[in-house]
Amino acid sequence: MAEKVTIRKLEDMGSRMVDEIERGDGPTFETVLRTKSNTIYDEGIGCLRTGDKKEQRKFLSMAQAKTFMQTVSIAAKTRRFVKEDLHTSIRGLFYQLKFSLGEDLDEDLFSEQSESNALIEDLEVALGIKREDLNLTTDRKGFVAGPMIIKDKFGGDETTIDCTKQGRSGWSIPSDVDNGMELKEVDADYVLVVEKDALWQRLNEDKFWKKENCLVVTPKGQSTRGTRRLLRKLADKKLPIYCLMDCDAWGWYIYWTIKTGSMNLAYLGRDFSVPEARFIGVTMKDIRDYDFLQKLTIKAKEVDIKRAEEMLGYPWINRHPEWVKELKEVLKTKKKIEQDALQGQRLTFVGEYINQKIKKKDWLP
Amino acid sequence: MTDGDEIFKQFKEHSVAEFFKKNQQMLGFSGKVRSLTTVVHEFVTNSIDACEEAGILPDIAVNLEELGEEHYRLTVQDNGPGIPKTHVGKALGQMLAGTKFHRYIQQRGQQGIGASGCCMFSYLTTGKPTRAISRYKGTSYELEVLIDFKTNKPLLNMLSESPTEEHGLTVISEYKGVSHEQSNKGIFEYLRRTALANPHATITFTDPKSGRMVLPRSTEVIPPKPFEIKPHPLGISAHDLLEAAHHFSEYRKLSALLQNAFSRVSAGKVAELRQVVPDVDFDKNPSKLTWEEAEKVVKGFGQVKWIAPATDSLVPIGREQIENSFRNIFSPELVVVTERSPKVYKGGIPFIVEAGIAYGGGIASAGKQGEIMRFANKVPLLFDTSGCAITETVKSVDWKRYDLKNFDEEPIAVLVNLASVHIPYTGAGKQAVAGEEEVEAEIRFAVMEAARTIQRYLSGKRHAHDIANKKKLVERYVEQLSSDLADLSGSKKDRILKKLTQIIEEKYAAEPSEEEIPIESEDKKPKAKEPETEGDE
Repeated sequence: MAEKVTIRKLEDMGSRMVDEIERGDGPTFETVLRTKSNTIYDEGIGCLRTGDKKEQRKFLSMAQAKTFMQTVSIAAKTRRFVKEDLHTSIRGLFYQLKFSLGEDLDEDLFSEQSESNALIEDLEVALGIKREDLNLTTDRKGFVAGPMIIKDKFGGDETTIDCTKQGRSGWSIPSDVDNGMELKEVDADYVLVVEKDALWQRLNEDKFWKKENCLVVTPKGQSTRGTRRLLRKLADKKLPIYCLMDCDAWGWYIYWTIKTGSMNLAYLGRDFSVPEARFIGVTMKDIRDYDFLQKLTIKAKEVDIKRAEEMLGYPWINRHPEWVKELKEVLKTKKKIEQDALQGQRLTFVGEYINQKIKKKDWLP
Repeated sequence: MTDGDEIFKQFKEHSVAEFFKKNQQMLGFSGKVRSLTTVVHEFVTNSIDACEEAGILPDIAVNLEELGEEHYRLTVQDNGPGIPKTHVGKALGQMLAGTKFHRYIQQRGQQGIGASGCCMFSYLTTGKPTRAISRYKGTSYELEVLIDFKTNKPLLNMLSESPTEEHGLTVISEYKGVSHEQSNKGIFEYLRRTALANPHATITFTDPKSGRMVLPRSTEVIPPKPFEIKPHPLGISAHDLLEAAHHFSEYRKLSALLQNAFSRVSAGKVAELRQVVPDVDFDKNPSKLTWEEAEKVVKGFGQVKWIAPATDSLVPIGREQIENSFRNIFSPELVVVTERSPKVYKGGIPFIVEAGIAYGGGIASAGKQGEIMRFANKVPLLFDTSGCAITETVKSVDWKRYDLKNFDEEPIAVLVNLASVHIPYTGAGKQAVAGEEEVEAEIRFAVMEAARTIQRYLSGKRHAHDIANKKKLVERYVEQLSSDLADLSGSKKDRILKKLTQIIEEKYAAEPSEEEIPIESEDKKPKAKEPETEGDE
């Protein structure tokens, strides 16, 4: 059981510290350095992950004493959450821990929520667990529609969810798709990820997922941990993951976070990245291929240009000649195009477009 | 108790009242605040000197009353021997008739213009005479004193006379066009510093603003009397020589004057002088000596090798006394005093430098920051700060090396006392010391020596403070950490807490000091010349 592993890891951490104290040493724990310099691109897997540089946290250090104590507090508190099978948000945890350190001390254990975020990451890395394992929830944002049946054990009940029967709203992806969640049946041929909720609603109305026998997912902008984790699990089921984003800085960023993970959360590594993902559009080539799109382009903004230049410098991007060509074209034409433009001719054109792109394997890696 | 008569035998007359009337600034009567402080200075130093000579522990009361705008009445009362009736006129109503003029002795006032100058200043600003009550040898008499400017003679108006058991002098005088303020140049600060340098004196000050303030003595020991020595040839100027000629009119020949009025001048040395200064007749009557001749003789003094003057006539305040009075008056956190051994400047004038540094505590609460307290023969110098070698030298010390980052903002007071039979004042106002190389070097060494101790203290204190802070910071989290660890590990909280507290105690007790104390080498600095020690008379 995943919960038992988590509890054991937390308790082991405490026991190791008590051992250190018994030996007459100050308590410590080891975590992995989460800096840009210790972020590497793992070519084998195709994702960003943290390197091997370790960092020791010490209680007997002026600079670390407080954060050390806070980290242990989080460990003790979340262990109880897991034991009692109760979930809360980081904010909830923050309020659980926001109490005074003592009557004579004018200091709270935590005074800002931002203090706790980095410490949770410390714990995740040090123990090799995810915050979801600690029963810490994050905000939900993504939606799914299509042939997938899920078993959800939650709050003492077990519910079966059919993602074809979620009406216009779709199934809302929870923050944790691992603990108490089971992808019972996935009967789709592929997964389509569309950047915007608006397009997702359009495709849902068209029953695109039924016609194509696919899962239509929208992260609604940048993907949450839950959405990324779900896509990873679907990719593990050998489903191709196709992404349809805007052809601009934000769209590319959303795509690459799904594919390789982000620099900020590089420590999450493979479990939160989908190197198999493909970028079906919108591309610069589409503008050439579909006449009507030419009139629907927008002038690229400075942020788009800057982002394109940056991307050309990332080894995990410039190793793909297709992307180099794409980005260079953006820099040359200084144009961008939104996925919504695909509805410019006919509302139902989007479906045809996706279908063609996948059939012709007309995508960027 | 010394017979007061002894002191007053040495009165000499001078006709200079008119001159000083026109040149009041020479006596320190310039500036509204300064004038009043100068008056207090003159009367108070006279009182302390009189008490000291008579072997009395001084009790001095200074009372200031405001009579109108810029109009004050000052009363200074002491418990000294008092003044005999025959001398009171000369003491208060005749310029340059003081007890100390022409005596080569380390005393607070070096010229006798003080008290009489004040009476003159009082008369010039108010038109009123100065009133004196002297309690001398069983008789108390009261009189009014004025100066006849034309003749420099005192005009006395005897008011009353009665028997008394007490002794002492009370002088009451009024001044207009002066002001009183509680600044660094005001009366209170002057008296506070006087008390600092004269720990055997109790000084009481009553003023219209703050009421009565007492600066009690911190020792019952009267400092040893500085004994009189004749001036050393190397310390005198042409002017001094001419004055000596004027006053010692009993000597018919210059050679006799030199041998009798100055120290270390023997017949053999006069013979040497005759060789060095061939165009001056050493057999001539000293009263006929011209300025040019006097200059040549003084120049000749510099070409003859002399036995150094005796240094045992110097009376510093004393290390212990300075420490005590600093504690007594300011209650600072730390006091360090250094006393240098006697040195000579200008090739022959002996002097001693004492330096004291008081840090923190009462220094801070007295609002003192980077304060330099200058003294010459225990007399506080309040004016002409910037032109003074003491100020310059103390400021030239690289205070950062002593952990005093910004000297002017630190709670620190630096006392420097220069004791000498001849203080090299920059001017007649006697408020600043001239930059004699040897004197500056000694001031520097004395201050740096004291500063090193301060630095050691500060660095130790800061280190201890740092450690304590670190410990405190860690300690405040111990309770919570122990309870969480007990929760996680299933161990007993009390045991974890106890162990962890023990670890912290050990760690922060054992941490050694990381700071190094910079030691400033004296060898790098110019050395003051050692006095020649060919022997003493």
